[in-house]
Amino acid sequence: MQELRRIGSNRRLILGLVLILLVNGFLFVREQRVQDYGLNMELPNASMVLLGDTFTTVQEPVDPGAAYQRYLNWLDRVRGLSLPDAASMLEREKTDLAAKFAGDTDTEEDHLDYVAVQTLQAQIQYLAGYGDRLANIQRNKENLLTFSLFNDTDSFAGRNIIKTAEEFEALQGVALTLGAGGAVDALLTFPLSDYCLLLVLLGTVLSFLEERKAGLWSVVHASPRGRLRLAVRRTAILFSVSVCGVLLLHGTDLALGFSLYGGAQDLHRAVQSVEALGMLPVRTTVTGFLGQYFLLRIAAAFFVGLLLWLLLAAVHNVKYTVLVAAGVLAIEYSLYTFLPVQSAFNVLKYFNLFSYISLSALYTNYLNIDLFGYPVGIRNIAETALVPLCLLLASLCLTVQCRKKPAAGRDLLGRAAYRFNGITDWVLCRLPLMGMELHKTLWIQKGIVITALLAYGVSHLSYTANIPLFSSVEEAERQYTATLAGPITEDTFAEMDAIQDQLDQVLQDYEDAKTAYADGQLSDAAYNLQTYNASAARTQSEGLAAVRSRCVDLQMLGAQHGFTPWLLDETPFLSVYGSRAQVNQQQAALLALLALTLLLAGSMACERQSGMTTLLRSTAQGRGTLLRRKFLLTVLATTFVWGTVFGTELYTLLSHFSISGWGAPARNLSMLEEFPLNCSLSVWLALLYGYRWLSLLCCGVLALLLSSCFQRMETACIGTGIVLLLPSLLYAYLGVQVLRPLAVLLPVQTMPLLLDHNGAVSEAVTWTAALLGLSAACSVWRLVGEGLPRSLSETA
Amino acid sequence: MKLELINLTKRYGNFTALDHVNITFTEGITGILGANGAGKSTMMNLLTDNIPRTEGQILFDGTDILKLGRDFRSVLGYMPQQQGYYEHLTAQTFLSYMADLKAIPKKQAREEIEKLLEITNLSDVRHKKLGGYSGGMRQRVLLAQALLGDPKVVILDEPTAGLDPKERIRIRNFISSLSRGRIILLATHIVSDIESISDQILMMKHGHVVGVDTPWNLTDSVAEKVKELPCAPEELKAIQAQYKVGNVFQRQGQTWVRVVGDELPTGGQYVPDHLTLEDVYLYYLGE
Ligand SMILES: Nc1ncnc2c1ncn2[C@@H]1O[C@H](COP(=O)(O)OP(=O)(O)OP(=O)(O)O)[C@@H](O)[C@H]1O
Ligand SMILES: [Mg+2]
Repeated sequence: MQELRRIGSNRRLILGLVLILLVNGFLFVREQRVQDYGLNMELPNASMVLLGDTFTTVQEPVDPGAAYQRYLNWLDRVRGLSLPDAASMLEREKTDLAAKFAGDTDTEEDHLDYVAVQTLQAQIQYLAGYGDRLANIQRNKENLLTFSLFNDTDSFAGRNIIKTAEEFEALQGVALTLGAGGAVDALLTFPLSDYCLLLVLLGTVLSFLEERKAGLWSVVHASPRGRLRLAVRRTAILFSVSVCGVLLLHGTDLALGFSLYGGAQDLHRAVQSVEALGMLPVRTTVTGFLGQYFLLRIAAAFFVGLLLWLLLAAVHNVKYTVLVAAGVLAIEYSLYTFLPVQSAFNVLKYFNLFSYISLSALYTNYLNIDLFGYPVGIRNIAETALVPLCLLLASLCLTVQCRKKPAAGRDLLGRAAYRFNGITDWVLCRLPLMGMELHKTLWIQKGIVITALLAYGVSHLSYTANIPLFSSVEEAERQYTATLAGPITEDTFAEMDAIQDQLDQVLQDYEDAKTAYADGQLSDAAYNLQTYNASAARTQSEGLAAVRSRCVDLQMLGAQHGFTPWLLDETPFLSVYGSRAQVNQQQAALLALLALTLLLAGSMACERQSGMTTLLRSTAQGRGTLLRRKFLLTVLATTFVWGTVFGTELYTLLSHFSISGWGAPARNLSMLEEFPLNCSLSVWLALLYGYRWLSLLCCGVLALLLSSCFQRMETACIGTGIVLLLPSLLYAYLGVQVLRPLAVLLPVQTMPLLLDHNGAVSEAVTWTAALLGLSAACSVWRLVGEGLPRSLSETA
Repeated sequence: MKLELINLTKRYGNFTALDHVNITFTEGITGILGANGAGKSTMMNLLTDNIPRTEGQILFDGTDILKLGRDFRSVLGYMPQQQGYYEHLTAQTFLSYMADLKAIPKKQAREEIEKLLEITNLSDVRHKKLGGYSGGMRQRVLLAQALLGDPKVVILDEPTAGLDPKERIRIRNFISSLSRGRIILLATHIVSDIESISDQILMMKHGHVVGVDTPWNLTDSVAEKVKELPCAPEELKAIQAQYKVGNVFQRQGQTWVRVVGDELPTGGQYVPDHLTLEDVYLYYLGE
C-alpha cells in the first residue's frame, strides 16, 4: 500500500485531521454547554428587564451541569414508574417547588430541582402524547377516505396522506419509555461534524491530485501500475477514509455525548422515545437506529468523496480544482438551504449533495416530495439511491482515472486569468513599496482570508454581559441612581430627602389605614392597596438608602483623592468592562491576538520561503527601508485589528447605552476606585483603548521578530502562535497560573489588570515596560543592525 | 571604476571556502570559472554583503563596500544562483517591485521594464505568474531584475543555467553589449558562454585564484599542452587513467581522444589552431 503510505506521510494532512478531530470534540462539548444540555432553564421568578435598549430575561444563574446531574437523579427515580404515575409525582414536586419560589425561600438546590423536574415533565408529555399523534395520522387518512372532501385520492396531497398513514401504521402499539436521550439528540444536531467530514474527504481527494501539481502526472500515468491498479487502490483508500472519518468524528460525538448525558443504558428503547426521532416511521431500537445511521453515514461519506474526486479529476488544470470544488459546493449548498420546501424544484433541494452531508435531517424530518404526482419520502430516495450511486460513481472515477490524458486539455480559464492579471499588474506597478508590502500580506500570505475570518469572528463576539438584578431593592437602587445621576452636591441629598419624605408619607398613610381598617372604616380593597403601596415603599426606601450610602462613600473617596464625587449609572460599564464581561473580553482579546499573529507571522518568513532574502538585501532599499515598511505594516495591521475588534466594542457601548456624564471622574465607578489617575470617564476610555492598541502593537512587533526566525510560513505561524497565544490560552482556559506573566492576553485585555485590585496597577506598569522595552530593543537591534535578516544557514 | 578584493577570506567553521583572495576587477566582463564548490558563489555573496566575511577588504573605488552600504547597493545589480521569486507575482509586477526596491523612479522603471522584458523575450508572458513559469523563464526574469536601474556593478551567478541555446546566445550577446562602463562578474560552468564575450577570465580552485588573464592569452598558454591522438577503444580506459582526457570523438572511422596536461603521450599531434577555453579549464582546473 505504497499509496496509503504516501498519503499517510503527508504531514499536513495528518496534522489537519488531528486538528479537525480536536476542534470538533472541543466545540461539541462547548455546544452542549451552550445549549444547557437540552434543559429548560427557566425559573418561575424570572423577570423581564430593560437592559440598555433591549428586554432580557433576568433570573438567578443556574449551573446547567449540576442541573443535568439532578435531571439524571430524577430520571432514575421515575424510571420504574408508569408514565401517569411519574407525571403526577413530578407535578406534586413542581407544585412544592413553586411554593418555595412564591415564598422567596428558594435555595440553589431548589433551582436545580425545578429545572430538572420541568424538563422531565416536558419529556413525559411528549411520550404520553405520542399515541395520539399516531392516531391523528390514521384519522387523517380515514377522514380523507370517508368524507373525501376534496375527493381526489389521485392528487399528490391525497396520496401523500395515505402514504404517510401507511408508513406510520407500522408504529401502531409501539411502547415508548422514558430515558436519557441527550447523546443521540446531540449527535443528530451537531452539523459541524458533518462539515468536518466533508473537509477530510476534500483533503483526501486533493491529495490524490497532488501528482498533477507536482508535474508527476505523466510519469504516474505512464508507469505500468499507474492506471487501473492505482485507481482501485485510491477508491479503497477513499472508502477507508470514509469509514475512519465517520467513526472518528461522529464516534467522538457519540462517545462524548454518552459521557456527558449518561444515556448509554437507555439504548434498548424504541427509537421514537427520543423526541428528535419521533417522525421516523421505522420500528427499531435506539441501538438499531445508531447502527443503521452509522452505516448510512459511511456510505454517504463514500458517495460524497467519490463525487468530489470525479469532479476534481475531470477538471484538467489543478489550479482550478479548488475553484470547481468551491463552486459546486456553493451551488449545492444554496439549493439545499435556500430553496423553499414548496418549490416545484424541491427535488433539487433533497436530492442534493448536502442531503448526504447533513444526513440527520433525513431522520428527524418526515417529508414526502412530489415526484410526478407521487409522494416519495426524502429518506427513501436518499437510502435507495445511495448504493447504485456509489457503484456508478466508483466506475466513473475509475474510467476517468484510466482514460484521462495528462497532456490534453486547453487552458481557457488561463487566458482569462492572464487578461485579469494584466489589469492587476497595471495597478500593482503603480503602487509604492508600502502598497506592495500590503499586497504581499493580503494575497501571498493569505491575509485576506484572515481578515474575513476576523470579521466573521467579530460578528459572533458578544460584547455585553447581563448584569442581573437579584432583588427588587437592587432594582429600586438602580432606578434612583438613574434619576439622581450627576455630581453629588447638597442638592442631591436634598432631593433624596424629598423622596424619602414621600416614601415616609406612604408608610404613614399605611399606619393610618391600619387603624382605620381595624376600626372597620376602610374597605378590604382599599386596605389591600395601602398594604401593597407600603411594601413597595419599604423596598424603595431600602434602595434609596443604598444610594445614599454610596453617595456618602463617594464623597469621602472624592475628598480623600481629590476628585468630584459623581453618582453614575454603572450598568453600561459593568456590562461591557466589568468582571461579568471578562469572558467576552477574553474572547475579543484572543481573537485580536490570533488575527494579528496570523497576519504578521508570515511577513518575514515569506521572504525566506520564497528565497528572496539575498536578492532583497542586495538592493538599495532592501534593508533598512524595507524593514521600516514592514514595521509600518505592523502598525497598520495592529490598528486594523484593534479597530475591528475593540472599535466594535466601543460602538456596542455607545449604541446600546445612553451614557451621560462623560466628564465624571472615572474613579466614581466602583470598579475603578483604585485607578491611579484622576481623569474623566472619556479620558479613561481613551487611555484604555490606547493601552490596548499599544499592547497589541507590541505583540505585533514580537510576531514580526519571531517571524524572522522561521524558514517557512506555516512553521512561522505555528511558532509565533505557540509563543504569543499558547501561554494566554493555557492561562485563560486551563488556569495555569505560572503562565500569567507570559500571557500577553492580559495587557491586550487590559481590564483584568485594573479590576484585580492586588497590586494590579503596578503589574500593568510592569507589563507595559516589559513589552515596550522588549519590542523596542528588538526593533532597534534590527533597524540599526543588518536590515533584513540573512537566511539562517548563512548566518551560521 | 574598480573593485578590489584584498586578502578576502571566508571560513565556514573550520572550512575555508575563500582563502586570501587578491584581485582587482575593472570595467568589462570578467568570467569566473571553477568547479562546483570552488568558492564562486561565496565570493559573490561577500561582494553583495550577504554573508559576513572572515577577513579582508572589498574596496569600491577605494572605499570599503560595507562603509558605502546603500551607496554601493544602489549601483549594484545581482542575480543569485538560487532561484528566489514570489510565485504569486507576475513578471511585470515582480520587476516593478524590484525597481521600487532599487529606488528607481516609476516612469524610468516602466521604460526599463519594457525594454528588459523585450530583451529577455518575456513580453508575451509578462502577466503570467512566476509560479507558472519554466525554470529558464524564471532565470531570465531574474536576469532582467539584475539589470534594472543601469547598475555599474553587475554580479551574475550562473545566469545562463537552464536556458536553451537560442536564449543563451541572445542573453550572452546582450550582456556583451552592456560591458562598456560597467564591471560585470559572470560565474558559470558553461565555458562557451564566456569564451567569446569576456575581457578577462578568473579561474578558481578550492577557494584560491588559480589564474587571471584574457581568454586569448590563456588559450595561448596551453598551446603546448594539448594533443589529439587516435586510440583503440580498449586502450581508452588506460589513457583516461593516465592523462586528463578532454573530448573523445570519431574521425574517419577511428576513435580519437584529446589529452591535456604537462606530460603528454609521444604520439598524436598538437592542435595550436583549435584550442578552446575548455582545454584551458581542463588544464588549470581539471583534477
Ligand atoms: N553556509 C555554508 N556553510 C558551510 N559551508 C558552506 C556554506 N556555503 C558554502 N559552503 C561551502 O563553501 C564552498 C564554496 O561554495 P560555493 O557555493 O561558493 O561554491 P561555487 O563555486 O559557487 O559552486 P557551484 O558551482 O556549485 O555553484 C563549498 O565547498 C561549500 O560546501
Ligand atoms: Mg555557486
